[in-house]
Amino acid sequence: MFDTLSDRLNTALEGVRSSGTLTEDQVKKVTREIRLALLEADVNYNVVKEFVSNVRERATGAEVSKALSPGQQVVKIVNEELANLMGGTASKLTFASRPPTVVMLAGLNGHGKTTAAGKLALFVRKLGKHPYLIACDTYRPAAVDQLEQIGRELRVPVYSEGTEPAPEDIAERGIRRAKDEGYDFVIVDTAGRQVVDEQMMEELRRVRERIKPHSVLLVLDVVTGQNAVEVAQAFQEYADFDGMILTKLDGDARGGAALSVVSVTGRPIKFASEGEKMSEFDYFYPDRMAGRILGMGDVLTLIEKAEAQMDREQAEEQGRKLMSGKFTFEDFLKQMQMIKRMGPLSGLLGMIPGLGQQLKGVEIDDRVMGRVEAIITSMTPQERRNPKLLHNPSRVRRIARGSGTSPQEVQKLVKQFGEMQKMMRQMGKGRGFPKVPF
Amino acid sequence: MARSWRNFFRRKREPEAEPPRIEAAEERQEDAAEAAPPAREEPEAVREEEPAPREAEAARVAQEEGREEHEDREEAGWFGRLRQGLRKSRESVVGQLNAAVAEFKDAEDEEFWERVEEILIASDVGVTTTAKLVGELEQEALRRNITSGEELRELLVQKAERMLSGPVELDVSHKPTVILMVGVNGTGKTTTIGKLVNFLPGKVMLAAGDTFRAAAIEQLQEWGRKTGAPVIARQRGADAASVAHEAVEAAKREGMDVLIVDTAGRLHTKLNLMAEMEKIGRVIGRQLPGAPHEVLLTVDATTGQNGLRQAKMFKEAIGVSGIVLTKLDGTAKGGIALAIANEIGVPIKLVSVGEKVEDLHPFDARQFAEALFGEL
Repeated sequence: MFDTLSDRLNTALEGVRSSGTLTEDQVKKVTREIRLALLEADVNYNVVKEFVSNVRERATGAEVSKALSPGQQVVKIVNEELANLMGGTASKLTFASRPPTVVMLAGLNGHGKTTAAGKLALFVRKLGKHPYLIACDTYRPAAVDQLEQIGRELRVPVYSEGTEPAPEDIAERGIRRAKDEGYDFVIVDTAGRQVVDEQMMEELRRVRERIKPHSVLLVLDVVTGQNAVEVAQAFQEYADFDGMILTKLDGDARGGAALSVVSVTGRPIKFASEGEKMSEFDYFYPDRMAGRILGMGDVLTLIEKAEAQMDREQAEEQGRKLMSGKFTFEDFLKQMQMIKRMGPLSGLLGMIPGLGQQLKGVEIDDRVMGRVEAIITSMTPQERRNPKLLHNPSRVRRIARGSGTSPQEVQKLVKQFGEMQKMMRQMGKGRGFPKVPF
Repeated sequence: MARSWRNFFRRKREPEAEPPRIEAAEERQEDAAEAAPPAREEPEAVREEEPAPREAEAARVAQEEGREEHEDREEAGWFGRLRQGLRKSRESVVGQLNAAVAEFKDAEDEEFWERVEEILIASDVGVTTTAKLVGELEQEALRRNITSGEELRELLVQKAERMLSGPVELDVSHKPTVILMVGVNGTGKTTTIGKLVNFLPGKVMLAAGDTFRAAAIEQLQEWGRKTGAPVIARQRGADAASVAHEAVEAAKREGMDVLIVDTAGRLHTKLNLMAEMEKIGRVIGRQLPGAPHEVLLTVDATTGQNGLRQAKMFKEAIGVSGIVLTKLDGTAKGGIALAIANEIGVPIKLVSVGEKVEDLHPFDARQFAEALFGEL
């Protein structure tokens, strides 16, 4: 649906030589593309205006380095500006000197407060804290049940008084109980509300004034559109939040709202909440979000994940083999097992710049990997090292039987493998990165 | 002027449309063909065609009529609600539009068109649809030599209205009619079901197909208690398709008119979850050919351009028949509805402008367009 910004910029700058400076006309073309890309990513249009004028200033007359194409050069500027705007580094949790630390969650309906409450509890427990949850959503049917169920699953105590008492009273009594029982991290879940509902917003103010939390976190769905700015401003006024939790990041929304909100309120995004599993929650890394908004892929995360899982020497060895075309099924198997440790394949590929867009809508089924693995493990060591042996139909039939697949599937894999070897050899000869055969 | 609930449900079957079950699939196609020019019947005629209601149902119908009358009085009410919901945004968007319109000199005024573009973008209409609207508007303004800002605004409203117009009616003519509610997490599926039950004619049953999220079943059961609709549920973690299976059986057995199947929220990017949803649809269709008769996708009005992806992926996976635009009572303008209607081609059927049951309304293209850009 969307091209990556880098592609667009390269098109806009076609014919520009890879050195010298950018002319005013080129910059104008480029800033137009940036503007569109940001708007499509749901960055608020006022924020876009300001941002684009900053980039224009920096880009006009900028030296184009020899290493980068003019498009890349601009992307670099844009990326830096974005990362600056979002705050350079991750902001970590701080804890009260006299426990318990009290954190209150607030946000619009359906943005994931209750789920985030559970995730945050698990997160701080991993940091050695003793979390305690308080259910203050007295409006939505079964919201209290939801938090209680989450608490049971995580074995985190949940304080609730049903839906009758005022939320500020529930919160106050809950915090007292937590203190008495020696818990040192209290998370107060509140009802979802619309910012135009003044009564509800006043209620939030009352809760905050009564319990004086150490931190108020605004929970924001990453799909939020242009009105993210109004929402954030209203919550800033009534709840005075000091940070945000960005939720549903496992979807494919660009998340421009994150940029809008940070630039308008000056409050950092502290946490990123990804999936439906309670463990999919982490500190937020602003520099990575910049890449996501622009469709440049989450290179850093990928690199880090890979580094954590791969034995570096082994990886280098593999890399050499890969490029020389001496890559065998044995190496392939090893690599697959390494990749599997890094998480679902579909997630990983999305992080590779350029690929993310190419693969949009392409189905990558992780189960396919399982079948491939079964086929390879059904080969004899000789066959794995010398795929040519697999031109023999009776070998193929044996492998199909052994792996519970069909001869066609085995043949297909062998063929694809051959193509991959060819491709890798080309890459090794420096012909660039060809299209992926998925 | 506001669309009332009265014509919203297409309940009457065509006389010949009482075929044996096997032909139901064909029947459905015919239905779809009929739906193209929305065949609206006189409400009275509908009532006559209805089988004699049993006592409980009579009371329900009476209640429904009461509500409709009430609603007629409150016609301005829902419009007002929507307006109120859009108030803040109107203050900025329409305010800006007013300013722009006031400054409008002629159609060759580049700056003017840029401002109109910005206003549309700020309503989440998105780059593509905005470009189309503004392009058409500009052409027409030039061709007709429009010099009045007001005329231009009316033209904008008309264009937006045309984009948004589609078959609005909910087809509840089957017995039982199965409505499948789908959508991304937190967009308001269960809440919409709870509200919709109150307006549906006949006996309604609910199926707790969200077996994943904590307390989703309890949430639906609570709505069941409030509305008196029976709820088919199993324990959390049960197979959603088998809950749907059981519910269709129960709805047939107990002579229900409508069965609404709730499902777990799912991101459109999760292939396994989308496949699970397709399975629910298949299971329902196997038991009751032609079903689900309506697949409603809830879209949060605060959603930005990702709403397009949502609509596209859900449409491809399960053939969405209509959109429910929820949470229009916030500051969100819901312009994404315009983008979805234009780029994906799924009609908006319902809007929700608040948390109360009465805040659910059949969608009215003209009103929505006016609330977005019109002078109110």
